[in-house]
Amino acid sequence: MKRRVKASYLSVIWNRLGVWLVVIGLFFLITVTCDNFLSRANLINVVRQICVNAIVALGATFVILGGEIDLSQGAVAALIGCEGAYFMMHMGFPVWAAISAALLTGVFIGTVTGMIITFLRVPSFIATLGVQYILQGAVLLLTNSQPISGLPESFTKLGRGYIGIIPIPTIILLIMVVIGFFVLRYTSFGRNCLATGENTQAAVLSGVSVIKTKIVIFAIAGTMSALGGIILAARLSSGQPSAASDLSLQALAAVFIGGTSRGSVMNTLAGALIIGLINNGLNLLEVNAYWQKIALGAIIIGAIALDSYRVSKESQS
Amino acid sequence: MSDKRQKVFLELKNVSKQFPGVKALSNVSLTINKGEIHALVGENGAGKSTLMKILSGAYKRDGGDIFIEGSRAEIHGPKEAEALGISIIYQELNLIPGLTVAENIYLGRQPRKNGCIAWKRMFCDAEKLLQELGIELDVKALVRGLSIAQRQMVEIAKAVSCNAKLVIMDEPTSSLTHQETQLLFKIMENIKEKGNAVIFITHRMDEIFSICDRLSVLRDGCYIGTSDVRDISRDELITMMIGRKLTQQYPDRNSKIGELLLEVSEITDGKKVGPLSFEVHRGEVVGFYGLVGAGRTELMRLLFGADRKKGGTIKLRGEEIKIHSPKESIKRGIGFVTEDRKGEGLFLPFSCAFNISLVSLRKIRKYGILNLKKEKEAAERYIKELNIVTPSRNQKAALLSGGNQQKIVVSKWLFSDLDLMILDEPTRGIDVGAKREIYEIINVLAEEGKAVIVVSSEMEEIMGISDRIYVMRDGALSGEVKKEEFSQEKISDFLLKEVNAG
Ligand SMILES: Nc1ncnc2c1ncn2[C@@H]1O[C@H](COP(=O)(O)OP(=O)(O)OP(=O)(O)O)[C@@H](O)[C@H]1O
Ligand SMILES: [Mg+2]
Repeated sequence: MKRRVKASYLSVIWNRLGVWLVVIGLFFLITVTCDNFLSRANLINVVRQICVNAIVALGATFVILGGEIDLSQGAVAALIGCEGAYFMMHMGFPVWAAISAALLTGVFIGTVTGMIITFLRVPSFIATLGVQYILQGAVLLLTNSQPISGLPESFTKLGRGYIGIIPIPTIILLIMVVIGFFVLRYTSFGRNCLATGENTQAAVLSGVSVIKTKIVIFAIAGTMSALGGIILAARLSSGQPSAASDLSLQALAAVFIGGTSRGSVMNTLAGALIIGLINNGLNLLEVNAYWQKIALGAIIIGAIALDSYRVSKESQS
Repeated sequence: MSDKRQKVFLELKNVSKQFPGVKALSNVSLTINKGEIHALVGENGAGKSTLMKILSGAYKRDGGDIFIEGSRAEIHGPKEAEALGISIIYQELNLIPGLTVAENIYLGRQPRKNGCIAWKRMFCDAEKLLQELGIELDVKALVRGLSIAQRQMVEIAKAVSCNAKLVIMDEPTSSLTHQETQLLFKIMENIKEKGNAVIFITHRMDEIFSICDRLSVLRDGCYIGTSDVRDISRDELITMMIGRKLTQQYPDRNSKIGELLLEVSEITDGKKVGPLSFEVHRGEVVGFYGLVGAGRTELMRLLFGADRKKGGTIKLRGEEIKIHSPKESIKRGIGFVTEDRKGEGLFLPFSCAFNISLVSLRKIRKYGILNLKKEKEAAERYIKELNIVTPSRNQKAALLSGGNQQKIVVSKWLFSDLDLMILDEPTRGIDVGAKREIYEIINVLAEEGKAVIVVSSEMEEIMGISDRIYVMRDGALSGEVKKEEFSQEKISDFLLKEVNAG
């Protein structure tokens, strides 16, 4: 009897903190195993490195919650980064104008993707796969597969600068997390998004405009991808046509590690942090990058398996 | 059957079950004899389904013992339950939509030949089974295309097909009409004649008195008592269930019928429904009665814009409206409590509050921002008003008992406060006390000058609450009965009447 009570106490903690427990655990584990982990420079490095992935993953969170998937995010990010660079270097746009134009392109691409999925009824998996190829082609055409470098400092600051000791990309990320959290919790759109993803039929019958909701979801994903692409370009000081090739899947990994069944903005952030911490820990331990990939794969599978186990336990208890 | 030394098949002793925040069962003891039909009754959330799920191995009990034919049994999963001779029809349907009727019936135990599924035999067996049971269904039809009632019949066939010694039926009749219920009763009698037992859960009093031998009552997770059905009156039973007297099942209506609100003419979907015409006034409760498959739900979906109509006009408040989606109908003031709560009404992993507020977000929104305090107030108000049994408004809808889930769906639409409310089987799976509460709410809606359309397959209910009844048959209206002329005979006549072509 005692043990039961204890078990349920643990499950309450797990329900409250959930995947953040894993973040904390990992933090301690790495602190113990790696000497220089706790140094300020390294910690800042961790929070800086996860930014692009986490921002893109925030977009993916909405898509997954809405019951869809977006494989084109990496391609959007690459295109937008290069487009911004192109505007600045080849067309003489001022920095702010180039950024605005590039972001708007992201919104536009996302909206069109959403329309393809809803109006043409192409499943999102396939539609975004198609969009991905189209954009990959477009970015090569735009750049002739050459990086566009020499970006002005006022732009690269976005990826490399600091305010106080906090990296600017981290600040942008935090702002996005707050906005995302707010939208999901305090707006009708957030509710509609959750409802649509959970039970489309019931959502329609409850007066949710599913089509509109889905288009907005993809527009958000496009925007976040674009933002990620811009920060990436700023960090690399150049528009790199092949830089973000892995980003769609990395973002999805963050969402899934964060926990799909209770998907939320904070969980996605935790997912991105977990990936970042593991990469950092393995770097400090000088494990080579190939092994890091294997570890990441194993962790994704493990995280989902754990989550399914928990859900099935919950329904039994 | 006159064997007086009927032996005990199943005995439960002090079974308990605790969920986080809910004591679902405390020390429940119960005996089920061979060859009896045993009714298990109690209010929504009393613990009936939980007890049955313990018997089927879906839940683990916290304490107590189970004896089957005198020996202690541990049931850890459905396979073990089956081996012990227990089969169950769950309250929430569990068929796989993408498979055929036959596949669903034999799921997990398909007849095999050389390791492959013997399709021909399976379809053949299924057909024979359905024929024996008197169920008319195409065994090769996909479950996806079946109505809820038809799905329920498939579940029944599935449960009966393994020749269990105890068949548990958790509210199988809640979505069936009279005819199908009679068919089910025949099936139950058959089981009984073979010396096997049935545990039958229902909220319909007349069913208990017409088919069951004994009954046991649960209240708030506690065992209240068992009685021979012969020795107890309806009122005594209700008192046992709810712990107080319920004087009158249907509240008085003094209807003040106002101006014309809805005028439907020649509406049709080009397939199953119509063309047909009817009207509804403010302050009026209009019942739609008919057999399952008469097209009532389809008609309501047309009205609500969930399906596209092919012809005819809808006038609301004297103006013709063109509705293309539920969203537009809601904006115009039409609400629709759907019949299939799991598939079309609820968002199971989300909280009660989420479910209740979804249709009415505009009411709790200011400058585009949701006021969670208002949401909380609304949720708490309906939880209280409808007596929804839940530890809190934040409980996931999935964890509520069936009847309480239904109340959540009803609350969602009550909160939306629309002019015309369409209720499709609103009391499905709801206990006697709560039914009365819903009837009262319908009355209040009417008194506020709103109009209510109620679709129901229970004749008594529809006569008890309506001002006027339309009888539907084969997609057309076969008759209209005014309150003064309400009688079973009159309504049944229309049910049987051929609809004149033309
Ligand atoms: N998995 C679960 N987790 C938490 N609470 C649960 C769970 N299943 C049931 N409950 C709670 O246990 C109580 C009993 O539920 P149960 O489903 O047995 O009621 P019931 O008698 O079948 O009611 P109904 O007539 O509405 O079907 C309810 O308060 C319900 O909310
Ligand atoms: Mg139940």
